[in-house]
Amino acid sequence: MPKETYVAHFQRIDYKDTEVLKKFLNPHGKIMSRRRTGLSASNQRLLAQAVKRARFMALLPYIVR
Amino acid sequence: MAEMSHSAEVELSQASVSESRAPARGKQETRPVYEVGFHIAPTVPEDGVAAVVEEIRTALGEAEIISEHFPQKMTLAYTVERSDLGHREKSNEAYFGFIKFALERQALPAFEDALRAIKDVLRFLLIETVREELVAAPRRAVFSSDRLEGETIKTPVSAAPEEKVEVSEEELDKSIEALVN
Repeated sequence: MPKETYVAHFQRIDYKDTEVLKKFLNPHGKIMSRRRTGLSASNQRLLAQAVKRARFMALLPYIVR
Repeated sequence: MAEMSHSAEVELSQASVSESRAPARGKQETRPVYEVGFHIAPTVPEDGVAAVVEEIRTALGEAEIISEHFPQKMTLAYTVERSDLGHREKSNEAYFGFIKFALERQALPAFEDALRAIKDVLRFLLIETVREELVAAPRRAVFSSDRLEGETIKTPVSAAPEEKVEVSEEELDKSIEALVN
């Protein structure tokens, strides 16, 4: 998917939006690197924070075996 | 699961802090905006959820409620355990809901304590956010040309069929003769 699409999404990132967050996780449930997501540094930080919040609220798993 | 104290749940992101301090238009709007997401224990019956939500709203006191999502039952991504009830309780599902509100910063610890005291609340997350809705609007398709967008393609209207005129045999013969001659 083109990088622009994600950037547009990321102005409205939210921990409850798990369907969007899942696109940035690898099959083990780990957050993808910036090299793979193509996000800016600030958006990558927002993503990381949203994923961690979603994990705490059990909306996303900490790990997928 | 890594133990995360509830006090650590107040995550104040620099970005959201700066955004929430929009130019003040009134006293009500100068208050920071927070959002509390919570899980209500699955042991609560379906019709008892509203009572728990009402309890949370009462704990909010004088806060201005901006938006609210009524708790819906959902399957959790992992088993949530808690042992503060004297026995260990495991939950694989819960009612998840959230309330967005504006409240004075000083009143927040009291609200957290009140929320922690509600035994039917399995877990909660209190974050600072912005007044605007964060839910992403569904992306619309982009057309290279806007000419056809929203218009139905009309089939060309065919010309009205000619009315049949009854012709008597005599007239027909006359016209044939006229043509032949």
